[in-house]
Amino acid sequence: MTMPTAQNAGSTSFAPPSVAERGSDGFVRKIGREFLLAIYGALRTVKMYPPDNPVVQKTMQEVVRLSEEMLRNEREVELRVSGEFIFINTTRLRLDLENYASFSRIIGAFKDAGVGLCRIREGSAVRDWVVFLTLLQNAAVGDIDGRLYALGEKLAAAKVMAFELGPPTNLDEELRQKAKEAAKRTYAQSVTVTKEVINSVRMGRSPNIKKIKRVVQGIVDQILNEETSLIGLTTLRDYDEYTFTHSVNVCIFSVALGRKLGLTRIQLYDLGVAALMHDIGKARVPLTILNKPSGLSEEEWRTICGHPWMGVLQLFAMRGQNDIPYRAMIVAFEHHKKTDLSGYPKHVRPRAMSIYSKVVAVADAFDAATSRRAYQNTPLSPADVLQEMRINPHRGMDQVLVKAFMSLVGHYPVGTLVVLDTFEMAIVNAVNAAPEALARPIVRLISDERGNLLFPGTIVDLNQMNDSGGYARTIIKVADPERYAIRVSDYFV
Amino acid sequence: MTSPTIAPPELSEDELPDPPCSPHLIEELLRHLARSIKTHQLYLPNNPIYQRAIENLRAAFAPIWPHTPEIVLSITEADFRWFGRSVMHEANRSESVPWVFFKDGVRELTMMQGIEDDELVSLLGIMQRVRNAAPEEDDLLTLLWEQEFTRLKYRFVEINLDSQASFDASPEPPKERTLPIVEDIRAEEAAQPERKSGIVRMEDLDATLYFLDEKEIDYLRGEVAAEQSIDMPRNVLAILLDIFEAQDNEQVRDEICGIFESYMLNLLAGGAYGSVAYLLRETAQLIGRTAALTSVHKERLLALPTSLSDPAVLSQLLEALDQSEAIPEQAELDALFDQLRGGVLGTVLGWLKHAQKPELRTALERVAGRMASSNSAEMMKLIGSDDPSVAIEAMRRAGELKTAAAVAPLSKVLQLTNVELRLAAAQTLSEIASAGALRLLETALDDDDRDVRVAAVRALGTRGHRAALPSVEAVVQGKSVKGADLTEKMAYFEAYGALAREEGVAPLDKLLNGRNFLGRRATPEIRACAARALGIIGSGGALECLRRATGDRDPMVRSAINRAMRERT
Repeated sequence: MTMPTAQNAGSTSFAPPSVAERGSDGFVRKIGREFLLAIYGALRTVKMYPPDNPVVQKTMQEVVRLSEEMLRNEREVELRVSGEFIFINTTRLRLDLENYASFSRIIGAFKDAGVGLCRIREGSAVRDWVVFLTLLQNAAVGDIDGRLYALGEKLAAAKVMAFELGPPTNLDEELRQKAKEAAKRTYAQSVTVTKEVINSVRMGRSPNIKKIKRVVQGIVDQILNEETSLIGLTTLRDYDEYTFTHSVNVCIFSVALGRKLGLTRIQLYDLGVAALMHDIGKARVPLTILNKPSGLSEEEWRTICGHPWMGVLQLFAMRGQNDIPYRAMIVAFEHHKKTDLSGYPKHVRPRAMSIYSKVVAVADAFDAATSRRAYQNTPLSPADVLQEMRINPHRGMDQVLVKAFMSLVGHYPVGTLVVLDTFEMAIVNAVNAAPEALARPIVRLISDERGNLLFPGTIVDLNQMNDSGGYARTIIKVADPERYAIRVSDYFV
Repeated sequence: MTSPTIAPPELSEDELPDPPCSPHLIEELLRHLARSIKTHQLYLPNNPIYQRAIENLRAAFAPIWPHTPEIVLSITEADFRWFGRSVMHEANRSESVPWVFFKDGVRELTMMQGIEDDELVSLLGIMQRVRNAAPEEDDLLTLLWEQEFTRLKYRFVEINLDSQASFDASPEPPKERTLPIVEDIRAEEAAQPERKSGIVRMEDLDATLYFLDEKEIDYLRGEVAAEQSIDMPRNVLAILLDIFEAQDNEQVRDEICGIFESYMLNLLAGGAYGSVAYLLRETAQLIGRTAALTSVHKERLLALPTSLSDPAVLSQLLEALDQSEAIPEQAELDALFDQLRGGVLGTVLGWLKHAQKPELRTALERVAGRMASSNSAEMMKLIGSDDPSVAIEAMRRAGELKTAAAVAPLSKVLQLTNVELRLAAAQTLSEIASAGALRLLETALDDDDRDVRVAAVRALGTRGHRAALPSVEAVVQGKSVKGADLTEKMAYFEAYGALAREEGVAPLDKLLNGRNFLGRRATPEIRACAARALGIIGSGGALECLRRATGDRDPMVRSAINRAMRERT
């Protein structure tokens, strides 16, 4: 985790650089995953067998062992469910294909019982866990507070005192603010480094590879810990800085999608470097062609279409002595290819398209189509782009990845300007954690029902019901921020 | 930039916080750490000195953990500090452990209980790598990041990145105004009541559509697994070759030729022999089919295998192979050497006697065999090599392959003064065993060297080359044999038995049972050899001769007779 613990004094040239911390939550991540898998197993066994069954006893013993081990190291263990995330103390555990089922099951059980937080006390015994997990799966009906209260009563009646339960809470505001600040710094550093790299290449200088690695490490850490803030920043599609922000955005989307695929941290890092460098070949395309606003001649178009293979040559020119960025080269070459291997550039030898290239192709297409750039004055709405990627097979995207990408960014990706049925306008702030509510994101209201602009506006969950049992607000339309002179990024920075 | 952290104010000993245990324990631990870092650099893990150093380091943690679950060290240029006290000071940067951390931005290191179990050795490995790293290689922060320690945490300052980087966001919040949203929606509804872009349709909101089913999850898992098994170097080479073929721009092709030249060395250094073989094979094919290939590019591509076939370059490669921990798979080596020029055979043959590793020697033997069989002209040439070890190995291959064409160069070898070479030539001729080879072997019966003669006569006998009978008979029945040692005598008599057959019974009987005009018998060695030859003939007449001699008083002769008769019955 790269949370800042000290900040620049903000003064002149001799301000100390920011201080970051790493490596602190590796233990919790590792053992936390084991702990959750053990709880998942225990939840299943108490449902299938009587409490004194050896299978139940064995699974519970494992839960007890792991909770004791965490308590020994961490001194406290607090299991918290927030949205689609599970935290142990302050560490967010990673969701991937391998543990998707267990996470979903635990999140569901906690939510059904109205539990958002469970603090485990020292000395919890097998019996405590059997009782707790059994009751957790037999939640009372009624409102959240009522369900939580009922569970607490039953635990007390069974003389189980090993757990301290609390209602669902949102992320601690201070933590969220820290994460947001870290995301902003990561994003800004990434754009700066990308700019330096591309400009160095244009000027025939050797770019600093270490910097590239460092910013990708930052992006990976950020995505693994709190991706919402960083994904929100991809709305910063600055026209003048398009080449640089686009590379950073593609890196962020790719790493976030890679996380969904269950890639390891190192694999995400490889993917991130490849994504950040996917357009490096454009540094060899003359700026006059790259920034040409009108139609390109055939020759100019051919030059632009050469950027994937130029990227491979450029990466060779940048390589270190013992460090050849193979995946980045492959992705640079393949990111404009379609899954049937048509597209450009042409290949001669038989090849299979890398999954990394497919991931970057999806991220690249999405960000490019939703951005304003030299030859695209009017960006498409994120919703329309997603729709096109999904329904048009000629785009040549991997449809499973498109699906995974849509579950990542939601129906309405972060940064989309939407009109609600209340005639309020809002900007999508985050995907809704509830899996059935992809079309009902968390939004920031930026105008009231009469059209009066609000700043910074308020966050609302479109999945919330009103008193009459219907949804309080529903999206009826996606709007063009340009039309209303709204700079979406103002609401994220 | 290596900006110093803001130094804490100096505190007197009394003002410092009380540590949970004696600082001497931490000092001792860090001394062991420094020692282990050096040991890690100098010794392999199976070395007892290394193992002892690691054991000592692990043991140094034990007295600390009862007092505290973690050791938090702050780091300055020359010191590790613990609870405000310096627990390691080393001003000499080349020796300093604190400096290794400090220079890359690490300002605080926390070792948690349990680090000594698994992660300590990884940390030592990182320290070693970072001390030996070239400036462009990964720094300590990247190496620590990649390792993902669970019992080690660190705080660092970002030296490489611009900590001032910020957004060019609007300094002011958006101005208060009213958006014409209501009017817009009404106007849209009035103009086109049916759906427009951006208006939501309920059928688009089927959230379940976006959740992956088991089949899709399996597909993605398969793709991710497949990604890990991609042969990256070969994949990238294929890309470069494709670009070379598709782009006829001379500068582009120049650049790619340059990449091939340097990358091939990288691949060799990395032991990716299969990839080098692929590159050489593909470039050879590419030369044949690429349109508008300039002579310059053609020469540069052709130079790839040629340069690698250079004896000096190839010797380096073989030396590297001999020193590497693992020998590449035979198929990879075969594929690589298949692409090299014929002249390589000599280098490989010359290397066989130098190879330290038996596995490498075996692999190179096979490589040499393949190369020799596909390039017999080169092999013929090498039989006449000035380097005796090369010539001998070449003769061995010629013998294994029964290359009749080798007889001509072998005849020259038989004229040389080097006995080892003449002997190898005789053995090779024996293995070739063609009519020409055996004819040439006859000349070796007159060789000055006993071993050459023995090899020749044995071969002639074994191969049943009757044309040699007069020469052999002349020796057996002549006086020269008397001066030979028993082995040579025996070789001649065995060959005689094999070549003369029934015709030889009478002369041999005379040698075994007869006496000369002075009434003397042949020497026991000659009689024993005659008995052996009769045994080889093995006819009734020959056995009868042997039976008659069974009463010989010489034990050597009796033994030879018994053996001969036993082998026949």
